[in-house]
Amino acid sequence: MEIDYIKDLKQIRWDIVKMVHHAKEGHIPSGLSVLEILYAIYKNKNKEDSFFLSKGHASAGLYAVLAHFGILKKEELDSFCDYDSWLGGHPHRKEGCFMNSSGSLGHGFPIAAGFALSKKIKEEPGRVFCLVGDGECNEGSIWETAMYAEQLKLSNLVCVVDDNNSQIRAKISTNLVEKFRAFGWEAQEVDGHNIPDIESLIFKDSAKVYSKPFCVVARTIKGKGIKAMEDDMFSWHHKAPTDDELEKFKAEIFK
Amino acid sequence: MRKQFAKTIFEVGGLDKRLTVLIGDISHFLLRDIESNYPSRFFNMGMAEQAMMSVASGLAINGLIPVVHSIAPFVTERCFEQIKDDLCYQNLGVNIISVGSAFDYASLGCTHHCYDDIAILRTLPNMQIIYPSAPHEFDILFRESYANGKPKYFRLPAKTHNLSTKPKFGEVEKLHDGECVTLVAVGPQIQNAYDAAIELAREGISCDVLHLTTIKPISENSKKIIVESVSKTQRVVTVEESSILGGIADEIANIAYDVKFRHRRIGIQDKFMLNYGKYDEHCKANGLTKEGIIKIIHEFK
Repeated sequence: MEIDYIKDLKQIRWDIVKMVHHAKEGHIPSGLSVLEILYAIYKNKNKEDSFFLSKGHASAGLYAVLAHFGILKKEELDSFCDYDSWLGGHPHRKEGCFMNSSGSLGHGFPIAAGFALSKKIKEEPGRVFCLVGDGECNEGSIWETAMYAEQLKLSNLVCVVDDNNSQIRAKISTNLVEKFRAFGWEAQEVDGHNIPDIESLIFKDSAKVYSKPFCVVARTIKGKGIKAMEDDMFSWHHKAPTDDELEKFKAEIFK
Repeated sequence: MRKQFAKTIFEVGGLDKRLTVLIGDISHFLLRDIESNYPSRFFNMGMAEQAMMSVASGLAINGLIPVVHSIAPFVTERCFEQIKDDLCYQNLGVNIISVGSAFDYASLGCTHHCYDDIAILRTLPNMQIIYPSAPHEFDILFRESYANGKPKYFRLPAKTHNLSTKPKFGEVEKLHDGECVTLVAVGPQIQNAYDAAIELAREGISCDVLHLTTIKPISENSKKIIVESVSKTQRVVTVEESSILGGIADEIANIAYDVKFRHRRIGIQDKFMLNYGKYDEHCKANGLTKEGIIKIIHEFK
């Protein structure tokens, strides 16, 4: 069973790198840091659940995961960032595929909270998952939303923070578990590259009965799975690999 | 005007269970009937206008019809990017309703003035802008458009006019016929424009008076009415309680781009209004009075 998803992840990782190489555009390291989180959510969420990507620059990761689960066609990945493609550098809302448009940080999270509120108003079942970045937690609207979610008792809202330490040059968003707890949330930490741990934290039965909104701070590595990117995430943040690099990364991914 | 706002929202909210009200910690007393009758669809979101606007976007994605309400600068200028990305880019039916139009809060100073809302929101694709200036105008225009699935901004002024207008979404209304000048007014200034036209008519200067309650979109038929009037008079005076940059003056100039005409813009020049005092004092200082309009037209050879 474990072998299966490891094989899946290798293929998705390769799809992300290939996509960005082909487009000569995109954010590979962010896509790689969220890969296991997205995989776990899309593998386990039921049809009443919804997912909002707030850190839109992880788009390549999202597209590759959606292609893996058959939500979009694999060959469509080749159109990533093309002039007439619907798979842009940041996702644009499309029914059945992307719940929200993103790109500017600090927007997807309050939109997801609004959607969670609408489900409460309409008495609809299901949970709302939202993926935000640790850097994104610099935005004031993240904390406005954290306040709202607690006050509005949005127990159907699950925020996953991709804590990939990308903020080490900035005034870093530290101690996010404590911060979310201080805002009245249930908050826990997890290894963001360990799929069984993510699944057990978010999808085990006890996780579904919190009376508060739930924040999972996922410790991740930017560029996970490609050593050159893990070692130099800043150079690779927004960069496409050359043909030679592509071959090297392929060998590394499938080794 | 605010009472009509509360009454209309209460009535529409009773008929349409999708209507959901978010307020930025103002108008609690005014909206108390909505709060007590529809508690599951009324939320005081406090002073967090950026997230409030995005939350409204999330409500609309799931088919609800949000009304977001606060003072003009805080629900337009402060959260402009949320309006751009989360309402307009995603083309979602959220109704923003502001009070404190232009310099209604005269004495509170420039942070509470809002002259640029129309100019900045006009630039956003999908955005619709409605500017009623009498209670019946808000009631008619809100009911007509609130569920049309587009992002909308209703600018509610404190001062209202006493004219028997017949507003229709997207349409210009001609309130007075003339030959010499096309006088286009929006908001409460329509009263001054109309009164000026009556007085000028006695002197033999006749004006077409055009009243816009929808700033965007303007129907093709209404554009035709504007172009015909401007072609006839070749003189335009626009009157607005907003910046002369990007407001109605620019809209009329855009519509009549193919016509040769001269134009005087009465409105707020490119400046901060650093005085305090009362609404009427600001109107007087900026030519936004019947006398101010007559003076401009007298000088407009």
